[in-house]
Amino acid sequence: MNEKQTKGVVIKVTDHGESDKIVTFYCPELGRLTGIAKGAKRSKKRFVNKLELFSLLNIVFATNRYSSLVRVDRAELLQSHPAIPHHFQSYAGAMLICELLLNWSRENDGDQRLFRLLLWSLEQLDNQQSAAGIIIIFYSRMLGISGYKPQFGGCLGCGKLSPDVAPFSFRPSRSGIICRRCSPEKRIINPVAINTAKLMRLVAELPLEKVSRLQFSAASQAEALALLRVYGNFLLQREISSWSFFTTAN
Amino acid sequence: MNVVPPALELLINDLSKLPGIGKKTATRLALYLLRRPAIEARNLAGDIYDLHDSIKLCGNCFTFSETDPCPLCADPRRDPTLICVVEEPGDMMAVEKTGAFKGRYHILHGVLSPMDGIGPAEIKIDALLSRIDRQQIKEILIATSSTVPGEATAAYLIQRLQEKKIKITRLACGIPMGMDIKYADDLTLSRAIESRENTG
Repeated sequence: MNEKQTKGVVIKVTDHGESDKIVTFYCPELGRLTGIAKGAKRSKKRFVNKLELFSLLNIVFATNRYSSLVRVDRAELLQSHPAIPHHFQSYAGAMLICELLLNWSRENDGDQRLFRLLLWSLEQLDNQQSAAGIIIIFYSRMLGISGYKPQFGGCLGCGKLSPDVAPFSFRPSRSGIICRRCSPEKRIINPVAINTAKLMRLVAELPLEKVSRLQFSAASQAEALALLRVYGNFLLQREISSWSFFTTAN
Repeated sequence: MNVVPPALELLINDLSKLPGIGKKTATRLALYLLRRPAIEARNLAGDIYDLHDSIKLCGNCFTFSETDPCPLCADPRRDPTLICVVEEPGDMMAVEKTGAFKGRYHILHGVLSPMDGIGPAEIKIDALLSRIDRQQIKEILIATSSTVPGEATAAYLIQRLQEKKIKITRLACGIPMGMDIKYADDLTLSRAIESRENTG
């Protein structure tokens, strides 16, 4: 056994047997890390109040040569987000972020930018900022970091982003938008208004400290969430369970 | 070559589906049952066979019971205007063991857990709301765990219960009995300070 230490945000917790917990973290260097915390359910010292969803911890763990499941020995709470569970929309948003990370991250493949984005998003949700807006920002930027940034700068065919070629369709298979003129089909699939396309471009490009000032209209917000859901599901080839919960909550 | 007889292998496979039981423990249990007199194994099989026929959910509080309503709901000495909402039947047993609660219960059978596809419709929240409308409930004590999903479920319940004209209370959260406050974690201590009692 080799003892190591890292920072990590708890993104999933499941009970295991009578008193253990299986905890998944997102760590800046190690990416997704899953460990077993022995006796965590009964622990009154080592783990009490620490292995909770959305908490930022400093963890001490032991690796195993034969399995990717590490043994979590100690945890120190660095930052919690106690307001998130008390606000239904924030909770739904935070859970969606965690499930997206579970599906989009890999073991031994950490990313400092993604870790900062995760912490920033959880802080915003803890301060009860609009959960829908935070999800749009998180998911768009995470797709960018992962190398799947959707293109909203203009039509993939003619490059235009002007009212005379509107409305636009979002094409998940081509990771971008296509105008009415360039589209081979008459029917508009996954419609995107010009304002939504411009906003999505800003969401992906602005620095984090400025991006939260962006204001989404109800229509743009609904369009952006719908296209991110369609695009993500297309790339993952599966539905994310928390999306429907999030849609109900918002 | 398969050294395990098929009947034993079947039992090991079935036992290893139980929570907290892996292949090794399942093998140990199966071999134990094999070594014991056959009547013990038959009795155990009979008990498991009868389980679903004899035990049902109480139509009122949704606990597991052989009768409907369950003995607690049928007990006239319990306060029918006070309901304690818990996550699981095991939580009800823990509250009941204290002897401090004299009302009735409502079991949600879960907490809000979007990743597992458990939303408000999947747990017994609507049943609680209709129970409040049907019966003359004066107070709801929310006794979900102080984990993130437990707190989220409590917050959602409080939001839904706000429209009803009843008293809503939540289990207090703070320092356990016999604990030196020097060793309490920051979050628990701050919650204990927030929910401090007026003793003057």
